[in-house]
Amino acid sequence: MVQNLADLARLHLPVERQAALLLRLQRIVLAFDTLRQLPTEQAPANPPALPPLGLRPDVAEQALPLAQVFANTRHHAAAAFVVPRVVDA
Amino acid sequence: MTALWQMPAAAIAAAVRAGHLTAREVVTACLDRVHRVDRGLNAMLGNRSDAALAAARALDEERQRGQALGSLAGVPIAWKDNLVLEGELATAGSRMLEGFRSPYSATVLSRLQRAGAILIGRTNMDEFGMGSSTETSAYGPTRNPFGPDLVPGGSSGGSAVAVAADFCPLALGSDTGGSVRQPAAMCGVSGLKPTYGRVSRYGLIAYASSLDCVGALARTAEDLALWLDATAGADPADPTTVPAQAPVTPHLANRRDLAGLRIGLPAELNGPGLDPEVASAIERAVSQLRELGAQIVECTLPAVAHAVPTYYLLATAEASSNLARYDGVRYGLRRDAVSRCEPMMMQSRSAGFGDEVQLRILLGTFALSFGYHDQYYGQATRARALLCSEFARAFASCELLLSPTSPVPAFPLGSRIDDPLAMYLCDVLTVPASLAGLPALSQPCGFTADGRPIGMQWVAPALREDLLLQVAHVFQAHTDHHLRRPVP
Repeated sequence: MVQNLADLARLHLPVERQAALLLRLQRIVLAFDTLRQLPTEQAPANPPALPPLGLRPDVAEQALPLAQVFANTRHHAAAAFVVPRVVDA
Repeated sequence: MTALWQMPAAAIAAAVRAGHLTAREVVTACLDRVHRVDRGLNAMLGNRSDAALAAARALDEERQRGQALGSLAGVPIAWKDNLVLEGELATAGSRMLEGFRSPYSATVLSRLQRAGAILIGRTNMDEFGMGSSTETSAYGPTRNPFGPDLVPGGSSGGSAVAVAADFCPLALGSDTGGSVRQPAAMCGVSGLKPTYGRVSRYGLIAYASSLDCVGALARTAEDLALWLDATAGADPADPTTVPAQAPVTPHLANRRDLAGLRIGLPAELNGPGLDPEVASAIERAVSQLRELGAQIVECTLPAVAHAVPTYYLLATAEASSNLARYDGVRYGLRRDAVSRCEPMMMQSRSAGFGDEVQLRILLGTFALSFGYHDQYYGQATRARALLCSEFARAFASCELLLSPTSPVPAFPLGSRIDDPLAMYLCDVLTVPASLAGLPALSQPCGFTADGRPIGMQWVAPALREDLLLQVAHVFQAHTDHHLRRPVP
């Protein structure tokens, strides 16, 4: 299970770490299983917790200068981020 | 005589505006204090001495030219390292963001600068806000000034210590499930988590976006009110913000006592499971509140029994999505030892994130995964809605709710870090208000026999920070818990 989750989460988990992590996850999920017993038929469909969104006008704005965009990356060329090969040639 | 570094923000701003003090004198005193004391505490991840002194000089020159100064003129402020300031480092307590410099500033920091505040440095925190003890920081744990072997709480532990150790009168934190209130309680200072949306989250490095709030820590309710007035209000860059409300500071002293105020004590937040000394401190506080004229009423919030799993399932689900952006491509740590893109991303993420962050990403991925989504994430969403309706019912019979902030006082470093469930249970009293998006405030209400601070938590209806701060102000006027400082 942990390997599947790690793949979904894009985490590289060495085999030697998986057993300990699985144990921790199982313990947490087991403890959280009590939540499934809570009757929630009375729960309102639209909880009042969050305020309505105040969306700004959908108009193009000045983007960051490229030098600033690339300031925190290790590899870039011209106007692109550089990554290792994605598909085989 | 009070040292400059012990002055509250309100007194500093008044003295700087009146010309009795210069901003440079205040900032110099606070930076000296940091240099002398922080080595043993590890509350600060970086000081901004040159820029802070330059900003202070500029402010003093503005005053000399006769320009009006803002409400926080000359007040030194530290900020949690998950808020970004243009040109400055921002790590969120993670190796993943080591060396990252922000190209823009958080709205809350820009607004503080506009009000005349001087930003002096970044504070330590649990990695990406994931922790309750500031022990998951990649830059080492922060220590509690009330006991060097004690945790300061978390995740805004560095900010709580910065105020408790008198590095600055005000510090910023963020509160997703109690990360401002719990460290405030453990360090003997006050902490305010505003209503969700009252203060902009633009420039806050995201953990769980439906829960994240920027908050503040200070010694006095008056300083928290000044902070709120300077920073709250709509922000086009954050669509979840609400329009500005009436300022709090002018009406802070409207109440001399608590006559007529109905305070609810939710049975589920004041019951078994509390440390006996915490329970006793709350009992004494309730007696004092009665003497001040408050009426204490019993109430119930049954869904609170499920608040911890509700919170952790929702928060980790959101975190698994928010933290997907750290892939080693545009910013953040990158492992280049592989020749294919996806393995590069996976190895970068595993090298950059600490154990607790990886555990929470996996838990959140599980809660959202096919076949489990409705049983876990869906059920947590319904439980959250139920809790919101229970809060609404409780506020029909009282104006404020009261409980301890944390079930336990500050605990020894290393005593819970290997037991995630024990650590998560530290948040049992603070996550309910977070789930409901309600404003909440922690303030000191006593000490254990061995000198560890104890905090009590107020929760108010949405947008009633004015009430929270007024009541906290009255309690401070009649008690001295907030004045007790750790041994320097």
